Amino acid sequence: MNPDVLARNNVHVSGRGTRPMLFAHGFGCDQNMWRYITPAFEDDYKIVLFDYVGAGKSDVRAYNADRYGTLDGYAQDVLDVCVALDLQDAIYVGHSVSCMTGILAAIREPERFDRLILIGASPRYVNEPDYVGGFERKDLEGLFDVMDKNYLGWANFLAPVVMKNAERPELARELEESFCSTDPNIARRFAEVTFFADNRADLPNLRTPSLLLQCADDAIAPEVVGDYLESHVPGSTLRKLRATGHCPHMSHPDETIAAMKDYLAEQALRYPVAAPDLSAIGPE
Amino acid sequence: MDSPAGLVRFTDDGRILRLNATLAAWLGRPAAELESGTFDVLLTPGSRVFYQTHFFPLLKLQGRAEEIYLSLRDAAGQDVPVLVNAVRSEGSGEAVNECAVVRTRQRDRFEEQLLIAKKAAESASESKSRFLSMMSHELRTPLQSMAIFGELLASGGHGPLTDRQREDVGGIQAATRNLVTLIDDILNFARLESGKVDVRLETVSVGTALTRAETLLRPRIEEAGLTFSFDARAHGADVRADPDRLQQILLNLLTNAIKFTPREGQVRVEVDADAGAGAKSPAVQIHVRDTGAGVPPDQLERIFDPFVQLDRRQVPASRRGVGLGLSISRELARAMGGDLTVESEVGKGSVFTIELPAAAAE
Repeated sequence: MNPDVLARNNVHVSGRGTRPMLFAHGFGCDQNMWRYITPAFEDDYKIVLFDYVGAGKSDVRAYNADRYGTLDGYAQDVLDVCVALDLQDAIYVGHSVSCMTGILAAIREPERFDRLILIGASPRYVNEPDYVGGFERKDLEGLFDVMDKNYLGWANFLAPVVMKNAERPELARELEESFCSTDPNIARRFAEVTFFADNRADLPNLRTPSLLLQCADDAIAPEVVGDYLESHVPGSTLRKLRATGHCPHMSHPDETIAAMKDYLAEQALRYPVAAPDLSAIGPE
Repeated sequence: MDSPAGLVRFTDDGRILRLNATLAAWLGRPAAELESGTFDVLLTPGSRVFYQTHFFPLLKLQGRAEEIYLSLRDAAGQDVPVLVNAVRSEGSGEAVNECAVVRTRQRDRFEEQLLIAKKAAESASESKSRFLSMMSHELRTPLQSMAIFGELLASGGHGPLTDRQREDVGGIQAATRNLVTLIDDILNFARLESGKVDVRLETVSVGTALTRAETLLRPRIEEAGLTFSFDARAHGADVRADPDRLQQILLNLLTNAIKFTPREGQVRVEVDADAGAGAKSPAVQIHVRDTGAGVPPDQLERIFDPFVQLDRRQVPASRRGVGLGLSISRELARAMGGDLTVESEVGKGSVFTIELPAAAAE
């Protein structure tokens, strides 16, 4: 176990199972976003939560503009956590940008991952002549503008907010600390790394089976992107949710949990011992 | 239009339950048409992403969000900058998110300017630090050559020198040393400003640090005709500090004291090991006291500003700095969790106080 990585990435391990389920948060949030999902898996899995460097309660001093200048650096955070906890055959659950970091990590060290559950994935946000990502470059410039303006008043935006939850005051405290410690400069650079990334060429190299959870009316990862992924990611299963938006694990946790459980149960029935061998599937 | 603010209520999946006439008018669309859609459709594409990645998670996790900047898009395709306060209520039925929306057209223009100015200032500060650091390195290399060749000449390596030649070479060597000190100061300052200075805290004996400083400065104290002493209590006082940085601060303060105190004056260091008694964390204060000219009250804080020097006439040109010593010393003290302050009376002298966290008792 590497205590440096555990502290650096604010790793939390819980649950009563032995099989690891590793949750990777999306851009703009931290591991708190999984709080509506993890209780449903605590009996059967070892739950691993972490924050990327620069998010939540991670150690921002570990931020290095070169390492985190591409998604590979964030994928390395995922692998560092796997190594620190000696995870093998983990169920990886990633949201948004973490779908791509999960794919990159699983390509690099496939033995660490048994299945990937990818929520709101997109390999490329910007439209190309032969590809619909959903955004023009100027749309994303607009996002950076909105981020800059909110980060101007970052202290206000993330100032401690008294949550009206008299029964669980510790919840409010935890959130305050968590949200307040996200570094705006890192978040700003993470946005550029995320939204200008193009990982389409990596997709055929994935050898780990995956579930793609696609929301209806997702403004960030539209359905056409889900379809693209299904046809380009070997061993993927696309499941379209009734949930709308980009964060079904927060807005529709019950439907999300059911979809995850269905997939895991079906996979367990189909492959009771080990993962299928996808090595025969070559790049297209 | 009756309400001064836009109001909109929507579910977790963004479905608009109600939207008031004010907001509909800003968007140039009938409220009924908008009420059949979702909240993020009111937004520009960039704001939609921000809503999904920041605003909604915050609202869901915290139950409320305040002063969120978003940009709406009206029927004519124009952006409408707004600030949004939102509250979420989870009753027995479906959770509802309620937002009050305020238009910020004027404010948005000012913020735009502020952002441009902020970016320009950040970039200028970065370039300045980079320039200072590069320049210092570039200058240091030829200076090292000057120092080496000066030393060679002075030591008679190329044959004996006449008295006149020795005097001139001595002048060159003194000027070289002075320049090296100035460049070190600039480099230190550039590093401090860009936050690149590492301090490695350990337990340091104030007595040992002062003894070392005294050994180094003894010739200059004697040359200046001053008396120097330090408090015996220094030997019992331990601080949490980086020993090299503490030495640097002490040397800087003592060199200043020597420079600004007339002959037959006194420089004394007193140590108060119980300075933090009663406060949350124990601290040690090191007071460097001189009987020099003192600093006028209105100049007291300015002396810690970079590139500020008070009366340059008091100091011979060969010993003048660039006015970075105190600024560097204060930054270093702060980087070690302490501070550097001054009290002074014109004509009587000054007391510079370094305060540092006390080392925990063994």
